[in-house]
Amino acid sequence: MHWINWVIVVVYLAVVIIDGLRRTRGTKDIEGYFLAGRTLPWWAVGLSVMATQISAVTLIGTTGQGATDGMRFVQFYFGLPIAMVLLGVTIVPFLHKAKVYTAYEFLERRFDPRTRSLTSLLFLLSRGMSCGTIIAAPGVVLSAIFGWDLIWCVLLIGLPTVIYTVLGGVEAVAWADVKQMVVIVGALLAIVVVLVMRLPVPLDDALRVAGSTGRLRVFDFSFSLTETYTFWSGILGGTFLMLSYFGTDQSQVQRYLAARSVDEARSSLLMSAYWKIPLQALILLIGVLVFLFYTFSPAPLLYNPRHDAQLREKQPAEYAMLESRYTAALSARDQAARDAAASSAPGALENFTQQNASVESVRKEALDAAAKATGESSRDVNYIIPRLVLDHLPLGFAGIFLAAVLAAAMSSIAAELNSLSTASVVDFYQRWYRPNAGSTELLNAGKIATALWGVFACVVALYAATLGSLIEVVNRFGSFFYGSILGVFMLAMIKRSSALGAFVGLLTGMAAVAAVSFGAPQVSFLWYNVIGAVVVVVVGYLLSLVTPATKPREI
Amino acid sequence: MSSQFRSTLLRVLIIQVVALILLWLLQSRYTA
Repeated sequence: MHWINWVIVVVYLAVVIIDGLRRTRGTKDIEGYFLAGRTLPWWAVGLSVMATQISAVTLIGTTGQGATDGMRFVQFYFGLPIAMVLLGVTIVPFLHKAKVYTAYEFLERRFDPRTRSLTSLLFLLSRGMSCGTIIAAPGVVLSAIFGWDLIWCVLLIGLPTVIYTVLGGVEAVAWADVKQMVVIVGALLAIVVVLVMRLPVPLDDALRVAGSTGRLRVFDFSFSLTETYTFWSGILGGTFLMLSYFGTDQSQVQRYLAARSVDEARSSLLMSAYWKIPLQALILLIGVLVFLFYTFSPAPLLYNPRHDAQLREKQPAEYAMLESRYTAALSARDQAARDAAASSAPGALENFTQQNASVESVRKEALDAAAKATGESSRDVNYIIPRLVLDHLPLGFAGIFLAAVLAAAMSSIAAELNSLSTASVVDFYQRWYRPNAGSTELLNAGKIATALWGVFACVVALYAATLGSLIEVVNRFGSFFYGSILGVFMLAMIKRSSALGAFVGLLTGMAAVAAVSFGAPQVSFLWYNVIGAVVVVVVGYLLSLVTPATKPREI
Repeated sequence: MSSQFRSTLLRVLIIQVVALILLWLLQSRYTA
């Protein structure tokens, strides 16, 4: 990579760390460190929430998904605005008025310490692990692209994040998120402009070509429990997933607990409701533009350069044969695409889809050969956009893109580390070990916990690299517990609910999700949240009818 | 629910409907 690109990356990292150091002034006590003294404006909280959700997986994985699978993934987010509105009128005012530090602390006030500790523990387990995968996703890609050891890539992402999160607390995290969001959106828009300018045919004709492969099909109205990306799984399963994530996951709850008032907390959530679907559609559309770019110019046989080199070295004859077939197929597809763009005859588009199928068939053979030669998963969706940026975009773009990938990764990791530390200190250290600890002791414990979680996440990242499809992995970790924890919060809103009902309901909900996951693995993970939440509410409520109701109390 | 929250809700609803209509138009124009 050119030195100018590296300068951009270094400047970005320096700004984030220096800003983190400046924010240490606001972290004199525990409320300042964990909740920024509840003084953040709604727009900063809103941008922080959005930046947290856009991880590096979103930036490199979702664009890759757009390039290979098209726009239908956007249906996954259809439930988000509904969830945000529901949360704005239910959980947000409850939690904000309760003046709690963690969402789980509220459950002790409503039910008992068991439910609080179990839900907090589940959060720590699932988020601790997923934090590792959030670092691993870009780490693996950077490692393969630049040929560095994975450990250096993990440290490049993890170390600056740990430094500013430990020193600056939630205030540094939130303000860094605001800047990171600007970097991310700026980089995305710049890539769109360059890709559109590089098309050799008018955009309208190019999109018609992409549309013939089904990549611009957004809506799928079929109802299927096994298909993840349909309108109905997005609306129903997606709403429950987003309710669970934004309503009960400490990494999100902590953002709006830091807002100045209930109204500002609500407004910050509604900012995500406004922009999430358009932003995800833009990211997927970039993927479609990348597909078009590689339709009109030579595409790599394997996007992962490490696998490409290994296959070339271990199976030179097979590689040469595949490469020659691939070059011929690409050339035929390029011509077919230009013909289809120039002509409105249906035969031209049909010819293009056939040539595109030939290219994909040779690619599949190459991916299978690479999997055999390397002994690893050869799925290379996450490498498509980084290869394009490094190989084809003008000077400076690679630096901006790498800064955006780091920004996306860091904003997500920082929120996780901060919330993991808050839950560890408030729900366990202070609750069970040092109930009379002073503010300074808790502040120091918070900083130590943040650093320890950072080390843990980096270690997990080194092993998570072999886990396969990273987007699915990140989503799956949460899905096992999310729905059930949401069910407990829903029970908390029902007056008749008892502590025993909530605790037993929670255990039953998780057991039900585990039973579905192992007994019917074909059921899409989006439905786990619906199943978990419904089972907890039904079992918890029925049990509450035969046990004394628990009245909310102060701790 | 404050009137400010209600009007924000309305704006959210409008933007989502517009986004969905645009996505629908994109699909109908370019997908056979």
